[in-house]
Amino acid sequence: MTHATQFASNMSIGQEFKNMQRQLSSSAAGAAECKSMVEESPVVVVARRGCCMSFVVRRLLQSVGANPDVCEVEERHVDELARHLGESGGGVLMQLPAVFVGGRWFGGIERVIATLIREELKPLLKQAGGLWL
Amino acid sequence: MNSTTTQFVPSRRMGLYEPAHQMSMWGDFRLDSPPPPPLMLEVNANSNNQSEDTFGASHRNDQEASKPDDKVLRRLAQNREAARKSRLRKKAYVQQLENSKLRLIQLEQELDRARQQGLCVDATQLAYAGNTNPGITAFEVEYGHWVEEQNRQVSDLKNALHSDMGDMELQIFVDGGMRHYFELFAMKVTAARADVFYIMSGMWKTSAERFFLWIGGFRPSELLKQVLSPHLDDLTEQQRLDIVNLRQSCQQAEDALSQGMEKLQFILAQAIADGLLREGNYLPQIGAAMNKLEDLVRFVIQADHLRQETLQQISRILTIRQAASGLLALGEYLQRLRVLSSCWSSRPRDVCVSKI
Repeated sequence: MTHATQFASNMSIGQEFKNMQRQLSSSAAGAAECKSMVEESPVVVVARRGCCMSFVVRRLLQSVGANPDVCEVEERHVDELARHLGESGGGVLMQLPAVFVGGRWFGGIERVIATLIREELKPLLKQAGGLWL
Repeated sequence: MNSTTTQFVPSRRMGLYEPAHQMSMWGDFRLDSPPPPPLMLEVNANSNNQSEDTFGASHRNDQEASKPDDKVLRRLAQNREAARKSRLRKKAYVQQLENSKLRLIQLEQELDRARQQGLCVDATQLAYAGNTNPGITAFEVEYGHWVEEQNRQVSDLKNALHSDMGDMELQIFVDGGMRHYFELFAMKVTAARADVFYIMSGMWKTSAERFFLWIGGFRPSELLKQVLSPHLDDLTEQQRLDIVNLRQSCQQAEDALSQGMEKLQFILAQAIADGLLREGNYLPQIGAAMNKLEDLVRFVIQADHLRQETLQQISRILTIRQAASGLLALGEYLQRLRVLSSCWSSRPRDVCVSKI
């Protein structure tokens, strides 16, 4: 958490970032915590700590009204994560950052961009209960 | 080349270079060296005449028997001779200038042609790391072919739209056009892995294209705003709405990627700046920065992914004929940018009229 807030105080878009951080339940977590977050939260972004792409994914989800929770993992936990999330995940080749909607693996940055442009992201999120409007 | 680009002939470049500069560039002609052989004969012939004059003069002198006059006349004759030689040298020099000017025009035409094909052969390109990266060299060659094919497709599209071709046939052109762009994106992925800085700087593009660069390529929202929207007149209400939504989604994706890039820049700068003025080497900082640069490759890939998705969505919203027009508009727009680059780089820089 401290690492993330340090970014926030130094960046030009820092204020926005700070706001986001308050909404997100973020943690430099282990694999088990991630798994429980994925099962409990409607929309979760699982990413490596300090990953810039994770930031992009979050912004994109927010642009359609989602409020994703973030689970940041240390590099050493990544392999363990793949095993834990394997059942609800998309298999071994799940790339980070990974988006989980309604407890199930949705995809990575590529799928988020594709569905956003095709105007499919919002309906898919709504369907899986990831938006409340 | 059956392209629609203009062959730029810089015919206004007469006497652009000062004589001194000219001489240093094409050093085969020197004012201090003896005149070339053909002129020698002329000079000799003249000197024969001169000797006649002198003879005549000296004959006159003998008749008058005044030595001072003789010297004066000889000096005058020598002056005439020197003036003649000078005129001949000047003539030869001008001839050389004219030849060199023609050579320059030829070279410039070749250069413009190469530039229009996207092979930047200007100084900035040559200065770039000596270009010893085989992945990049291969990319540049492929890109040259890509532009040639692009020019062909643009003129084919133009002809197709002006003919009374049916939708089925037109679809083939549209599919081909789209596929051509997707091929470029695939090429760029490989090149980005070879040298991401090269792709991020748009080094393979012409200078005007580089001005509009966004994460290694064109901005999809600009494509919708400037190239498509103003030129698609016969849209239905639904199409208009869909285009508006697409523009919005595009803009959001661009903003997200741009902000992610800013964050990456920040992290990268931080990694490099860590431990400045401290004792010890900075290899760890370089190592940390190298790791972060892998992320940059992902940004380039995702930006191209956005471009591809946008193009595909456009083709879904528009009718076949509209999509063909859209592709033609985009192709022409990029061609114009390339021509702008050529014209700009070969514009006369000094108003330096030849004094010859």
